[in-house]
Amino acid sequence: MSTVQQESATRSEGPGRRRAGGSGGSGGTGTPDRKQQVRAALRRDLLFSAAALVVAILVILPGRNGEGTSISTMQLVASMSAMVVAAVGLNLLVGYAKLVSLGQGGFYAIGAYGSAYLTLDAGWHPVLAIVGALALCGVVGAVTALATMRMRGPQFSVITLVLAVLIERILNEGNAFGRLAGYPNFAQHDTTVMEPVTFLGITFTPPMIAGEVATVMVPIVVVTAIVVILSRNIVRSPWGASLSAIGESEMLASHLGVAVFRRKVSVFVLASVLGGLGGVIAVQAFGHLQPETFDIFLTITIVLAVVFGGSGTVLGPVVGSVAIVWLEQSDLLEQVTDLQREVSDSWYLSTTGLVGVLFLLTLFLMPRGIVGTLGRSVVPRVRGAVAGRRGTTPTNEGDGGLDDVHTEDVRAPSHPTPDGVILSLRGLGKAFGGLKAVDRMDLDVEHGSIHAIIGPNGAGKSTLANLVTGVYKPSEGTATFLDRDITGQAPHLVSRAGIGRTFQTPQLFHDETVLENVLAGFPDTGRTPLWAAALKPPSRYRRDAEMHAEAERLLELVGLAHAGDLLAGELPYGKQRALEIARALAGDPSLVVLDEPAAGLLATETAGLGDLLLTLKAEGYSLVVVEHHMDLVSKVADQVTCMEQGRLLARGSAAEVLADERVVAAYLGKPFDENEHGAAPAADTTEGDDQ
Amino acid sequence: MEPVIIGLVLGGMYALLAQSFVLTFVTTRTLNFAVGEFVAVGAFATLAVASWGWLPTVGKIAIGVLAAALLGALVYRFLVLPFTTQGEHDVRWLLSTVAVSFVLLNLMNNVEGPSPQRSETAKLDGAVDLLGVGVSKQQLLLAALALVISLGLIAVTQRTSIGLVMRAVSQDPDTTSLMGVSPRVVGMGSYAVAMGLAGLAGILYAANVGASPVMGEPLLVASIAVAIVGGLGSLWGPLVGGALYGVLSQVASYQWGAVWGETAGLLLVIAVLVWKPEGLLGRRAEVKL
Repeated sequence: MSTVQQESATRSEGPGRRRAGGSGGSGGTGTPDRKQQVRAALRRDLLFSAAALVVAILVILPGRNGEGTSISTMQLVASMSAMVVAAVGLNLLVGYAKLVSLGQGGFYAIGAYGSAYLTLDAGWHPVLAIVGALALCGVVGAVTALATMRMRGPQFSVITLVLAVLIERILNEGNAFGRLAGYPNFAQHDTTVMEPVTFLGITFTPPMIAGEVATVMVPIVVVTAIVVILSRNIVRSPWGASLSAIGESEMLASHLGVAVFRRKVSVFVLASVLGGLGGVIAVQAFGHLQPETFDIFLTITIVLAVVFGGSGTVLGPVVGSVAIVWLEQSDLLEQVTDLQREVSDSWYLSTTGLVGVLFLLTLFLMPRGIVGTLGRSVVPRVRGAVAGRRGTTPTNEGDGGLDDVHTEDVRAPSHPTPDGVILSLRGLGKAFGGLKAVDRMDLDVEHGSIHAIIGPNGAGKSTLANLVTGVYKPSEGTATFLDRDITGQAPHLVSRAGIGRTFQTPQLFHDETVLENVLAGFPDTGRTPLWAAALKPPSRYRRDAEMHAEAERLLELVGLAHAGDLLAGELPYGKQRALEIARALAGDPSLVVLDEPAAGLLATETAGLGDLLLTLKAEGYSLVVVEHHMDLVSKVADQVTCMEQGRLLARGSAAEVLADERVVAAYLGKPFDENEHGAAPAADTTEGDDQ
Repeated sequence: MEPVIIGLVLGGMYALLAQSFVLTFVTTRTLNFAVGEFVAVGAFATLAVASWGWLPTVGKIAIGVLAAALLGALVYRFLVLPFTTQGEHDVRWLLSTVAVSFVLLNLMNNVEGPSPQRSETAKLDGAVDLLGVGVSKQQLLLAALALVISLGLIAVTQRTSIGLVMRAVSQDPDTTSLMGVSPRVVGMGSYAVAMGLAGLAGILYAANVGASPVMGEPLLVASIAVAIVGGLGSLWGPLVGGALYGVLSQVASYQWGAVWGETAGLLLVIAVLVWKPEGLLGRRAEVKL
């Protein structure tokens, strides 16, 4: 069984990788190479889709004659399909965006009851009723999402659980739904089973009566297969990458250009609609609804299906759903119960309790689930074999990193900026409570220049960087970038305007590969629309190959050409910084804000970093560098601003500022005696920084 | 007036359980989703010793409370703590406590059967007249107890170093352990107290509605809502949230029927969360990068 990781491993077999083994990247990702890559990707996707459809058809083959013996099998398949669809939707939330929703059962119920009610009581055409019920799920999902999106973790889970419980109560106590008599019921509808849907002259018979072919099974399994295929497209697209980014850190995601709030709402709505679709499938297959089957146990079972199969993997929710439904409907659990009752007739666990135990065991023994665990044990081996064949060993020892930068790989920004001031701050300030971290700062960054910001710890340098990129809203003042007012704009807007950044402590996706980290940096992460992610038009294939080649080039640029397949978390600190720079450049910025890029680097790496910064500048990038490392500042900076206690202390060329006695006093914290040795503070602060 | 008084009394009962959510959240940043089952555990433990004539009522109550407390500490140590190790985004504990809830509920159902059993321990008969509204003494006792216990907890956390330790553990368990405080012990302690409270609520509530495995379930949703409305980080929160939620849901169900009572309560939760995600009395932490 293939997983995301596994496929990313095979992906690296692609021609794009070959260059890495070659001598000193020529930057030659030829078009034939790229075409081949596109074709390989297309082949993989077609193969997956074909396999999904074949499996779907195979499982309903036993019911092709409508024999009575096949009814229970068909009903089992239908239950599994409903669970698969709901779990695939939930996986987008839980597995990728790391939003643990306990409300999926509620949407399942809305889809089931909604489509039945609209057909029977409102008299809609069944197909229209299904669409209406799914739309209702979307609306309820959107409202819930809007209300809960500012919270994370337990609060979010609690609210979604409360929602599921509330929906169950309404179904249990609402007279329109027949209460315990179920829906439909004799008293209200003169029947207990819904009429089969007839659409385009075809009647979709549910698997209930021996001798009748259960035609409804065909759309059920086909829809399920399509949901799985589209969800795979989504999670492997930049849209999916943005979900993972949100799951890792919302602040980081927004710096990658993702409109976090809107995307969270979209994914919640998508998950809700899929939950509803699961319910629709259940109605179509069983024709009758009982409110007590939509209890908290259902919503938790869907979560269990995701976790048990492997959250954050394409096939995890599929495998998990199939396994859980089979387990619940087979008599295996009953046998376990009977076994216990031989020991004690009162102290034993039956189905719900055993499912609880299974959940605990999964959390203890297989936190990655079935698919995730298999993937973990298979992928490294595949990766090793691939590396062996290529003749490159991906290790993190030895050379590489910023002491091996390939400055010839630098390309000019794609949007050339006009000469003159590119970033202009006027009277910018930020107060935390009573403390003025930044106090009315003015700053102008010239196009194609490197502007260094120095100052002792706590001077407000990083806060200033955070004000520019939108982490904090300024309390006063304005920020203008390329004649656009960006004051107080959210990070994703600042990022889209063309400002990239790196962080004081590298913010990486530690569990993803180096290559995937760079790929997440492309503007596509924030801009790919959902429909394009799901349907994957040809342009997406071409763009994927293009991004791949570009990511390879950026990795080579920062000296990580051989590390593409390593997990980012395995990299030593200096290389993590290099990777962050590559990711920032992937966003195609005009201005890059680097927050202490040299902190923790080896001397050779710092030298390489200096070369890289100078080359970037020569190609037309503008850079703001917050830095303590005075050698580096002297080497690269066109202009230096020294801050102290949130205010401007000195400004000028590196030599001027470093010779300024106020600057020296600020660093050394004592009155200045001699005024000859401008470099003196440099040595001190660099030492202080190495801690 | 009647729905307001009844709402306040009901809110007091919810507040008692909400307090147990707040207690565990303040120290361990976790919530026990199995709290409804701990309510039943307390009730059943007391029921089991109800026939011991030599034991005074206080002793019977104590046994119920201790049983729930002990189980709570064990659940924290073995089923919550191991699932909190991956930083603040780690919510596996949430799934494990839900699983605990399934196991306990199922076990109690099999052992005790699903139908409610009469419990006479700590039963107060009759009603008192409160501003013209008759309120059952039992319910009033629960509400009064919530008030007293909340005030007691607040006094303890503000006047003694226990409060400091609790806050320190929640903010930075690693550093706290360097100071010679074991976050594990503090966590087990707070779970013991919190689940003891839940057990106490169960004993008193069972005298009213009888002891049954599912008795805690209706209380669970309401008390989570109360804890969230008030703010999970504040011991005052449950009192404020309980009063608001209780009154609003009672007024709504008097007006439009029982289902709308709960819906109104939920809408209150959503409204509060949209306006102040940290709850009415919670404090928001600034993110630092």
